[in-house]
Amino acid sequence: MEKIVIIGGGGTGAAIAHDLVLRGFNVSLFERGELLSGTTGRHHGLLHSGARYAVHDPAAARECIQENRILRHMAPQAIEQNDGLFVALDVADLAFKPKFLENCRACGIPTRELTAKQALALEPELNPSLKAAVQVPDATMDAWRLPLHFYATARANGARIHNYSQVIDVYQAGGHVTGIRVLDHRMHREYQVQGDLFINATGAWAGKICDLAGIQLPILPGPGVMVALNGRLTNMVINRLHKADEGDIIVPQRNLTLLGTSIWLADDPDAIGLPRDHESKIINLCAKLVPVVKKTKVHSTWHAIRPLIAQGKAVNPQEISRDFDCYDHKQRDNLDGLISVIGGKATTLRLMAEKTADLICRKTGRNIACKTKTEKLLHYRHFYKQK
Amino acid sequence: MFLFGGHAEQKIRAYPCKSVSHKKLKLTMSTKKTTFRILRYKPGHIDPPRYQEFSIEADPDMSVLDALEKIRLEQDATLMYRHSCHHSSCGTCACKINGTERLACTTKIKDLRNKPITLMPLAGFKPIGDLVVDISPFYDNISEDWNYLKNSENVKYSQMPESIVRFKRFENCIECGACISACLVTHKNKGFVGPAVLAALSNELKKSPQKSESLLSLAGNEKGERLCERAINCSRVCPTHVYPAKHIADLRKLIEDTGLD
Repeated sequence: MEKIVIIGGGGTGAAIAHDLVLRGFNVSLFERGELLSGTTGRHHGLLHSGARYAVHDPAAARECIQENRILRHMAPQAIEQNDGLFVALDVADLAFKPKFLENCRACGIPTRELTAKQALALEPELNPSLKAAVQVPDATMDAWRLPLHFYATARANGARIHNYSQVIDVYQAGGHVTGIRVLDHRMHREYQVQGDLFINATGAWAGKICDLAGIQLPILPGPGVMVALNGRLTNMVINRLHKADEGDIIVPQRNLTLLGTSIWLADDPDAIGLPRDHESKIINLCAKLVPVVKKTKVHSTWHAIRPLIAQGKAVNPQEISRDFDCYDHKQRDNLDGLISVIGGKATTLRLMAEKTADLICRKTGRNIACKTKTEKLLHYRHFYKQK
Repeated sequence: MFLFGGHAEQKIRAYPCKSVSHKKLKLTMSTKKTTFRILRYKPGHIDPPRYQEFSIEADPDMSVLDALEKIRLEQDATLMYRHSCHHSSCGTCACKINGTERLACTTKIKDLRNKPITLMPLAGFKPIGDLVVDISPFYDNISEDWNYLKNSENVKYSQMPESIVRFKRFENCIECGACISACLVTHKNKGFVGPAVLAALSNELKKSPQKSESLLSLAGNEKGERLCERAINCSRVCPTHVYPAKHIADLRKLIEDTGLD
């Protein structure tokens, strides 16, 4: 079977490794740091119902609700399954509600309308002047442990996972990628890796790998700030019932409350500063939903970088689709042997891998169906039972 | 305003966005030169381990993890350390900071009195490189049957949403290994299962009392709680309020009461 080399040890790489080994491919993965130390580990852990995207990005919304159901089933030990509320605070939010409900219905996202009184009975810390709420199947995932299930299973099935192994060059000949050069940070040595196909699954860093291959990639790093507060203020995910914006998500997790988020666009994912005014901006915005947020001590503030697909014209980054895409560089850049997977969300890791593995099958002429919707995942702790 | 970032102004794409702040983000310099002494180790190359110093311009609000990222990205790409969530839920960034086990992501530079700031990997685990250790043995004695979820204690709600029986949440333990590194016994007796395992066992017992015979038998065996010497270092260093020493004391009492000792 063909040897597939995956560059990038995030959630996407994990799910691709898992899918490919189940289809019988020979899989190696190279990550420059610790696994899941890029965007995947650092997001706020929202397992999307898709409701947030139902109105302006229904394609992403449909993917989210499908994957939400699958992941609850596949990795229950990594998910706090407490549903979520979209909360209307003013008349504008109330005016948004009918379109929100209708689009959720069209995308297959179950909703339940609640009065203000019902919402407060569920979540007493909500702003008492809220007007109404809608319950959706949002959930909290452990951003590290959920994808670690995929690594555990992939490794047990024969994938070779290499961390602290940085790709420093991409070799090509005759319009074909032939290999990569890896710097092993532990053993202080460089070596070459050959393969039949190379998958660039580095997310917000995908442009850097393509630079090594001498091609351009329309990836826009889109960082955002998140704030963790010391205290579990709600049990359900809380969203603002309006068009997706900054500071409108509250995600409980363990005895923390995670607030998100902000957005800006950057050139270099390795040179992101932390705009400190975003912390207070996010706290003030989220306090409209849950007032006690303002009185709760900040535990940590950090950024994570969305891997946004550049859409060729100037657009509000909030409106950039959170859908994903697989770029076969043979079609786009006359460079065969390299596929880049970009865009997407932590919630849709399995689906991104399915589409990528389907493309790999088409390119290698193998007619093998995806098994990841039904194959059980090993418990994440299994990752450590293999040396 | 920036804390740090190596650039005076972040380069922002000139998209004419209305609702997002796309003004140039300005840097206000309130940084201070801060030195880190980091124990380096690369098998066969930096071997035996030796300290290396790095200095950065650091805003005091930066975490030790933020500093490690800055050092790696601007000075030494070979610097190895574990990290993922940046908010104390993954447990990967635990190391010894000025001699004490802490999480690098939630330890702020301004809260560390001794400078230079000394970083070493956790004790009691096989060193892999620099601050990275092999955490696998942590999981040797934790059963996959032990539930990582429990009921949420935040029970102010007066009514459950339809379709949810009980609100659930993850256990406090983020499996960081700080307690094991700090435990005096694990360094001299590799047989001891350690505080993290006993705390996890105790939490499982609370949730599944029907398993008490098998769980207490495990806790009471020759690798279990009897080896604890009550130094209580574990509870002192735990970053997420697991209080393993309290769990061990509870188990000890239960074992006495059931006459299993």
